[in-house]
Amino acid sequence: MELLTASVGSYPKIGDGPEAQRHRQAYSRWESGEITDEEFESIQDQVTLEVIREQVEAGLDVVTDGQIRWYDPVSHIARKLAGCEIDGLLRFFDTNFYFRQPVVVGRIERRESVLRREFEFAAAASPKPVRAVIMGPYTLARLSIDRRGAGTRALVDEFSEVVAAEVRDLVGAGARFIQIDEPAILVHPEDVNILARALEHVASSSRNAEIAVHFYFEDAGKIYPRLLDLPVDCLSFDFTYGENLLDEILDAGCDKNLGLGLIDGRNTRIEEGEKVIEVVRKVVEVFEGRRLYLNPSCGLEYLPRDVAFRKLQNMVRIAERIREEIA
Amino acid sequence: MRKKLRDLGLDLPLLPTTTVGSFPKPAYLQEARRLHAAGKIDVRRLRELEEKATREWISAQLELGLDVLVDGEMYRGDMATYFAEHLDGFGISGLVRSYGNRYYRKPVIKGEVRWRGPITVEWWRFAQGLTEKPVKGMITGPYTMMDWSFNEFYPSRRDACLALARALHEEVKALAKAGARIIQIDEPAISARPKELPEFAVEAMRTVTEGVNAYFITHICYGAFEFIYPQMLELPVDNFDLETSNSNLDLVDLFRKYPFTKDISFGLVDVHSHVVEDRRTIEARIRRALEVVRPDQLWVDPDCGLKTRTAEESIGKLRAMVEAVKSVRESI
Repeated sequence: MELLTASVGSYPKIGDGPEAQRHRQAYSRWESGEITDEEFESIQDQVTLEVIREQVEAGLDVVTDGQIRWYDPVSHIARKLAGCEIDGLLRFFDTNFYFRQPVVVGRIERRESVLRREFEFAAAASPKPVRAVIMGPYTLARLSIDRRGAGTRALVDEFSEVVAAEVRDLVGAGARFIQIDEPAILVHPEDVNILARALEHVASSSRNAEIAVHFYFEDAGKIYPRLLDLPVDCLSFDFTYGENLLDEILDAGCDKNLGLGLIDGRNTRIEEGEKVIEVVRKVVEVFEGRRLYLNPSCGLEYLPRDVAFRKLQNMVRIAERIREEIA
Repeated sequence: MRKKLRDLGLDLPLLPTTTVGSFPKPAYLQEARRLHAAGKIDVRRLRELEEKATREWISAQLELGLDVLVDGEMYRGDMATYFAEHLDGFGISGLVRSYGNRYYRKPVIKGEVRWRGPITVEWWRFAQGLTEKPVKGMITGPYTMMDWSFNEFYPSRRDACLALARALHEEVKALAKAGARIIQIDEPAISARPKELPEFAVEAMRTVTEGVNAYFITHICYGAFEFIYPQMLELPVDNFDLETSNSNLDLVDLFRKYPFTKDISFGLVDVHSHVVEDRRTIEARIRRALEVVRPDQLWVDPDCGLKTRTAEESIGKLRAMVEAVKSVRESI
């Protein structure tokens, strides 16, 4: 068994010092037409390199591109699809972050690859493996307005084709770690069969890469045993919503790889090592997979940048202690 | 609840009209706030202009004929940060993105939260001194303060929320002692995690209001209460101020199914739209509300604070609202 430290999504685009405002300033100049798309793109490239460097410096084994180019995790995918329009702002689950809601007006189809170029850019620049992250078909469908009236199932089917094609592209580009986010299933646990079917479609196009599904913003305990049947390699969880999840894992065990989101991506308090280690110790007892991850509970954009960095550093230190103990 | 109002010495007409809290800050005040933040004018000069703007909004509300007034919150920035700055135990975070290119700073609970003295009482007294009509005391509620802050001190959300409730109880007591008879507790975040309502949000509201003789209103925004209705009626307040103008019909169906048992302020003017509603549209909304609540339960106000509208839009919307209410009153 190995233990890796990983990022699971976004990283703050700006910091607090005057030198860390580059993205915000460029965004505002781009919005008012003072700089071109290409100039803004080049700033986003630079900031992407910067946040990859920060994650590497913090000591992570697996990084992300920080989603610096993303307006939000939903519209970043949906805005490039045929059949989708982008509507007004809506609160993203129980956070104080807002996303633009897709409106489905026709058959959903991919016009072009959404993430491949972003992944290739990050992978070429990173000394550590880059985890590609994409919002999953069930959550994309749930967070969209269905103007066609064809129903959630049809939406999930069409979005799952899109996500499957993205995964194929990412694998083709050399991605070895791919993460599909499915927070919405925790709000609608009754739909776990729909999720399973959608992921079968996605997983069939993913040889040679580890497919993880990440669940967050609710306690996943109530459907944990069902998730063990999902056709994916790794299950990844937000542990900040209660104790139920841990109990269920200890009860049902785990034969897949497992992402332990024990680092709170939504609170500035730095974790106490001993508490995290205690949970990992218990999980290791029942764990039958090959690989454990220690990671934040969600993307880090809910935190100020300096805190995000300190959290990752602290997480790496905790992982080192766990490795010593296990070895 | 009419009896409670009468016992407090408040003789309000049927369908009392009010507003949710904030009004737009005039240009001179926005400029003064900017200069003050840059250290270019002192706090006394800023205060003078805040008072001037408050006077102007009190006059505007009187002229419109509103029944229950607010101070307009000329002296507040963010509704959570304002209280965090005036309570012990809080710091302020670095920048966090809310959407697009918008960033803000969040309160951070770093130690024991304590009330160190009146926060809003002076402003309430100032505003009430300008009018005979009742002015509402206005605070941000404990659940929303907790949900919108980072918590580095308390072991759980519950502990943080209840500590905030104890501190805010002191503020509510001070407002009542100064003479406020109507106190509004804003809880836009109340349904962030619906299961926390029975777990501790109701208890927190009880802690804030318990033993204080005032008519309590709580303001909850759209996209919030349908997840916690009818359980939400257990919150120990007299009046729920709800954002309803964009979901009027759904609510009427909901209230048919589970009757509304307390007083309700129906938000009948959309604060997110520049369009000034005409009197007839608002009148129709009031009549629809009256299909499911009794006239003696109903208050009328805009959906939310008006601070994002211009002064002209705000006044236009309120004028239409007051006229609509007058015409419905005559027909009851």
